[in-house]
Amino acid sequence: MYGWIWRHLPGNAWVKALLSLVLVLAVVYVLFQYVFPWAEPLLPFNDVTVDNQ
Amino acid sequence: MAATADETEETTDGSEPAADPAPRRRRPGRIALAVSVFGELLITAGVLLGLFVVYSLWWTNVIADRKADRQADKVREHWAEQKESGPGALDTKDGIGFLHVPAMRNGEVLVEKGTGTDVLDDGVAGYYTDPVKATLPTTGKDGNFSVAAHRDGHGAKFHNIDKLEKGDPIVFETRDDWYVYKVYSVLPETSKYNVDVLSPVPKESGRKKPGHYITLTTCTPVYTSRHRYVVWGELVRVEKVDAARTPPKELRG
Repeated sequence: MYGWIWRHLPGNAWVKALLSLVLVLAVVYVLFQYVFPWAEPLLPFNDVTVDNQ
Repeated sequence: MAATADETEETTDGSEPAADPAPRRRRPGRIALAVSVFGELLITAGVLLGLFVVYSLWWTNVIADRKADRQADKVREHWAEQKESGPGALDTKDGIGFLHVPAMRNGEVLVEKGTGTDVLDDGVAGYYTDPVKATLPTTGKDGNFSVAAHRDGHGAKFHNIDKLEKGDPIVFETRDDWYVYKVYSVLPETSKYNVDVLSPVPKESGRKKPGHYITLTTCTPVYTSRHRYVVWGELVRVEKVDAARTPPKELRG
């Protein structure tokens, strides 16, 4: 999977490494900005109130 | 397709080495490929979970503190403006005041209306509107000023709630007054369905008569929300805010 991505990136090893880094950062950004905020309320880690539900 | 070709290549490798003249790199077989993809998926899952921990314990704090600071500034500005134009209506939208709890060593915590995640995730404390409505100290009526805040992440404003002991001060600051409360009872663990802790007279705290109470709730143990941690305080006195906003002696120490 990651090998496949690596082989399909253009350029030499340095360019590939740089592009990989950009890809990783993009993925982390999407996770922090959209995926985790969406997933968080669905997970039972951060309820602080008492209620009768 | 390539994989089947490779496999036949491998089996015939010993008998006919000259079948493939080009010295190509040997490709892994179908099973090896499946195993390696599976392994990579597992690694990905691990990294994802790790990132989620980083997100919930660090990043949400960064975001929440930034938002809370901005909102707090807005409230203070508002107060400064109103000071000149005389008393105005209590603005519950931006926040009604600040909670100072020296024992928690977390500075001031803005208090806003409601305990939904949309409120609490901004790094503030919220006073209950549901299931039991909080009685705001500004009304001067007997009742329970019940607030909630996050223990971890999103500002983690009540992270150190376990540092609070009997006799510790909790000070609520509004535009015109300092409400000085003293902790008199702590419930280190209770069910999340225990809404009685929010009652106007919280019987579990040992008090039977109406009075001016404050209730702090958050989740416990840390990093989970299996149970709730509750701290009760009682109003000791109310001080008028002076021109320099000198804090009461409990906050000066």
